[in-house]
Amino acid sequence: MSEALWVEKYRPTTLDEMIDQEEIVSRLKHFVATRTLPHLLFAGPPGTGKTTAALALARELYSERWRENVLELNASDERGIQTIRERVKDFARTMALGEVPFKIIILDEADNMTSDAQQALRRIMEMYSRTARFCLIANYPSKIIEPIQSRCSIFRFQPLKKEDVIKRLRYIAECEKLKVTEDAYEAIWEICGGDLRRAINTLQAAAAMGDVVNEKAVYRVVGRVTPKEIQDMLNYALQGNFLKARDMLRQLMVEYGVSGIDVIRLIHRELLSPRAGLPIPEEARIELADLAGEINFRLIEGADEEIQLSAFLAKVALIGKRYLKKT
Amino acid sequence: MAQQLALPWTEKYRPKHVAEVVGNADAKEKFVAWIKTWLAGTPSKKAALLYGPPGVGKTTLVYAVANDFRLEVLEANASDVRTSEALKRRIMSAVRELSLFGYRGKIILLDEVDGITPSQDRGGLDTILQIIEISRHPVVMTANNPWDPKLRKLREASMLIEFKRLTRYEIISALKRICSKEGILVDYGVLKEIAKRAKGDLRAAINDLQAVAYGKKRVTSQDLMVLWERSAQLNMFEIVRSIFMARTASQAKSVLAQPNLNYEMLFHWISENIPYQYGESLEAIAEAYNALSRADVFMGRIKRLQNWTLLPYALELLTAGVAVVEHKPKFRFTRYSFPQKIKILSLTKEKREVRERVLEAIARKCHTSKREANLEYLPYIEIIYESNPSQGRKILRWLGIGERTFKKIARKKEA
Repeated sequence: MSEALWVEKYRPTTLDEMIDQEEIVSRLKHFVATRTLPHLLFAGPPGTGKTTAALALARELYSERWRENVLELNASDERGIQTIRERVKDFARTMALGEVPFKIIILDEADNMTSDAQQALRRIMEMYSRTARFCLIANYPSKIIEPIQSRCSIFRFQPLKKEDVIKRLRYIAECEKLKVTEDAYEAIWEICGGDLRRAINTLQAAAAMGDVVNEKAVYRVVGRVTPKEIQDMLNYALQGNFLKARDMLRQLMVEYGVSGIDVIRLIHRELLSPRAGLPIPEEARIELADLAGEINFRLIEGADEEIQLSAFLAKVALIGKRYLKKT
Repeated sequence: MAQQLALPWTEKYRPKHVAEVVGNADAKEKFVAWIKTWLAGTPSKKAALLYGPPGVGKTTLVYAVANDFRLEVLEANASDVRTSEALKRRIMSAVRELSLFGYRGKIILLDEVDGITPSQDRGGLDTILQIIEISRHPVVMTANNPWDPKLRKLREASMLIEFKRLTRYEIISALKRICSKEGILVDYGVLKEIAKRAKGDLRAAINDLQAVAYGKKRVTSQDLMVLWERSAQLNMFEIVRSIFMARTASQAKSVLAQPNLNYEMLFHWISENIPYQYGESLEAIAEAYNALSRADVFMGRIKRLQNWTLLPYALELLTAGVAVVEHKPKFRFTRYSFPQKIKILSLTKEKREVRERVLEAIARKCHTSKREANLEYLPYIEIIYESNPSQGRKILRWLGIGERTFKKIARKKEA
């Protein structure tokens, strides 16, 4: 027996089932009705239904033949624009099957592409615009270059509303015959906000822990999801044990495969989280957050992520020394 | 500057004809005979594996034969054409096509096949076997070490041709020919010395000759001594030590005068050893790392923009910036460590590959990227598996991930 992750099991398959985003849904339905489609740019925070909308759109356009007519690419996984070009070329060479005169290429995480790669992408879009429509998905539309933006209809996905997130969670709980306490829903909302994907994953993990999903189970999940090493690393650094902190950093990056940018983001989340329990005064948190921002910037500009994050930890050790002495 | 722009003599004097190729008479004969059987249409083996130490003329012979027999060489260096897909794209279409006008045929040359790592170049070796099978043209491979177990199938499919180190006499006479064409007078002692150090590698010998003789009319043993003393590399430990010991910026910078300094490696070495050298002072560690971090930002810009004029700034921060810090502790003897990052990377290679496969499986099934699979999916799956193994197994089955594979990468349990 196999069982799907709930995020997939309960992923809406039609546009009507989509949660929120009414404005977007109605415009997309119009495209389906007229069987026309411009290039699309879906922008918005994680877990708001961008990929779901793209897949649902494809399903409605091609019904059961949607798989043959859709190419899913992920910019952060493909090895550079060259492989994207090759795959698009292979896919778009033949005409679409069925009544819709074009195929759809979904390019997820398009904002992770360098601007040079995006320039190349623009040319690819033009080259195959007769046979294919692109649906670009991005968290930050401003990271997409102007010429691509101007070729696309831009759809801005909003974070989901609290009542809609909880309603969906209740629906899933009912289908799965779960007992969920009210404070558990509140806790999930507090942690995940309008990111429905994270909310559902949290619910499923909490449900695996026991018969009743309560606030405590939810917080245990959250404590486990952020790698323990992030906290340990910060604590070691604050205590002035730079070498231990660096070992943790290496474990995170090398063994767990977390990129430098993601490490600094997790750190940042941890710094201002009330539950993180970092033994530092409030003004030190701000100083550290400022430093994290600086290092985030250098990570983007620089060449070696470990060097940048080591520099961060060394600075953290100094700040720790200053504040821990005072208290 | 002019020196760097000059054509390497190894290229300038690369033999054009089989008759000019130095040494290894047996190998030459065997290879030429094999090519002739191809041209006659009755090859005994479809591929040939030329093996032997570097710089003895394996690749050169292939090009010389191609030139003499009017064949077109289609070359793929195994170490840069990575995955089997890449190899396929590059070669597969070509092996079945006929040759361009003016050529009698083609030689498919796959250089350095022992450089293919089976784990990294998924299917690369299998692709080569396929190429050999379907090719209408001779497939020639080169390797330094043909006895690697992973090359067994290639060995069986190929005619093996061994190349030996060149003799000192062969090298000297090759060098002499170059000297006379360049119009340089070089003492016999110098040539003998270069040949001796080359240990049978003609390419190395020619490179040494060019280094000592370029732009000169006459070369003596004295010139050779100066050259070799200069390039006698301090090893990395000493370079790192002289940076940390330096009290002035210019002292620290002086290590950059080392020829062939591998500064990318130096970044790793300095980064590794800052906390050991400056151990007692958190201030000094932070200051040195700040300089290194700035240096790295310059490196990033250099690589992204290909703007090499920024390199001096990066290297100054790497050396002087790290050496001259406000809270520098008194220098004490420190046992430096090899960059652990590099060591860890190689130790955890297998685990990382497993992880990569797991993330790919999640990404495919959940319409997401490997990066997001790592951050937004895997941790939850780990919790489910840990707290409710039977349910966890069901999900793994759905993802198409084996339980044992998953266990290899799962994080340690909650303390």
